[in-house]
Amino acid sequence: MNARNEDRLKRLLQEALPRIEGEPEPGRDLWPAVLRRLDAQPAAPPWFDWALLAGLVGFVAFFPASIPVFLYYL
Amino acid sequence: MKPHPYLRAYLAGVFVPTLVLPLLLTFVILRFVLQIPVPVEQALIFPMAVVPLLWGLWNLLWLWSAPRTHLPLGMHGAVLPFLLMPCGAWLATSLGVLAIGSQGVTWFQVCQVPYTLIAPMFLAAVAGYYLIWKYIVGFLNRVLGIA
Repeated sequence: MNARNEDRLKRLLQEALPRIEGEPEPGRDLWPAVLRRLDAQPAAPPWFDWALLAGLVGFVAFFPASIPVFLYYL
Repeated sequence: MKPHPYLRAYLAGVFVPTLVLPLLLTFVILRFVLQIPVPVEQALIFPMAVVPLLWGLWNLLWLWSAPRTHLPLGMHGAVLPFLLMPCGAWLATSLGVLAIGSQGVTWFQVCQVPYTLIAPMFLAAVAGYYLIWKYIVGFLNRVLGIA
């Protein structure tokens, strides 16, 4: 590609792409928010999951014969 | 995006069933040591070969379908027993490990499970699968960079 074609391609691309209005950078520093998100603790499991786990443990405790069947499917 | 996401998904999926395998092997060793007349090893084809394969493929399927369905991983995993239970029962029946009777099913001609207990067992399996897939497989997917 010679220099003339390159200039033409550049001009065409500039004409085709919309011009960015205003300030291209964000208005505030985003890095502290990224750090906060990285440091945030993972959310605790919801009560529904605890209830399911309790039900599962209770079921296995009442019917120990189900343990080999569960192992068969794991 | 890290390379080979489907391979990562498969490996994350087979992790949990692979951990259960040594436990199942303990049953076989106990049978031979204690000379228990129950052919446990015949039933092990399903948990040792089929279950890990299906878990891996199921996680792969989730990775492929999640952008379209937006189904949470726990719910996706909870569907798997609907596929595994009939497959496992069919294979166990074919191998003569499981007998289907009028009152219930009989494992190894010794352990009887009445039909009234099968429905709660199935629900417990669905709950267990939901929790395992949501927390363990989800954690592995995050560690392997595919979630």
